[in-house]
Amino acid sequence: MAEIPGTFEQAVLLAIVRLGDEAYGRAILRTVEEGLGREVAPGAVQATLERLENKGLVRSQFGPGTVIRAGRPRRYYQLKSSGVFALNQARKTVERLWCGIPSPLKGHA
Amino acid sequence: MRTRPPVWAEATLRIFLKADAFASVAGDLLEQYRDSILPNCGLASADRWYLKQVAGFALRSVFAWAALFAGAFVARSALDWFRPTNDFQTRSHISTAIAAALLLAVGFRTAWQSRSFTAGAIAGFVTTAIAAALSIVGNAALFATWHDPGTMSAIQDSGGLGEAFELPVVLILPGIVLGGVGGLVGAGISRLARPT
Repeated sequence: MAEIPGTFEQAVLLAIVRLGDEAYGRAILRTVEEGLGREVAPGAVQATLERLENKGLVRSQFGPGTVIRAGRPRRYYQLKSSGVFALNQARKTVERLWCGIPSPLKGHA
Repeated sequence: MRTRPPVWAEATLRIFLKADAFASVAGDLLEQYRDSILPNCGLASADRWYLKQVAGFALRSVFAWAALFAGAFVARSALDWFRPTNDFQTRSHISTAIAAALLLAVGFRTAWQSRSFTAGAIAGFVTTAIAAALSIVGNAALFATWHDPGTMSAIQDSGGLGEAFELPVVLILPGIVLGGVGGLVGAGISRLARPT
């Protein structure tokens, strides 16, 4: 069975899905922060993107730079079919784990 | 008014990133610095934010090496305290060789990716500084758990508490030198093997 991405990896992969053609470093960072509801270090997102690319789940290509970036290029990310598969697997796994359990869960604190 | 982070901070960032990653990462950070952090927080806070990000990249880049270095140091302390010997010289040779190899490797790797020998020395400094903190915490945990008379006697025979808590800090300077040597080799080979 393929390895299921961790929570943070899923947040990054889903940010790429949401952003579509506009999925570059800073936009991904903002989308992940919105999704998780907390501040995230740019280095954490960068390291995760590098890891996902090494795992073959995403691919990247450079786009043109802008004035605010002093001409430095944006690196745009796209999901590969293996990335789509991994996300679907992750979703199925969570749904299977929660199957039959009422929501919201009532605890015995 | 200046609208970009200090040049030296960007140069430091370059050291800890692969050449192909630097342009896009530095661009992302500059974009955030200029259109979000600087207008909302002012220059001094924006510079502090940028330095924090650079420190984060530096930490991620060398943390595994620092953890290995600290692990070796704490393991040596544990060996000396719990398995005392009369032949400390052999152990000393082995642990020195491991530490030197790690620092040469971190210097080589960092300089290989940035093509700068200075990068090796800086990586050596950051690695030994983080390792010093981890080693002191590790040795303190050992000492807090085991401080019976037998262990205290073994600690005294193996160089005392000074060696456990001061040596990691003293090693920062040799760390810079060894990182620099590894960096010299790494930068040289990188320039020969990967001409621009």
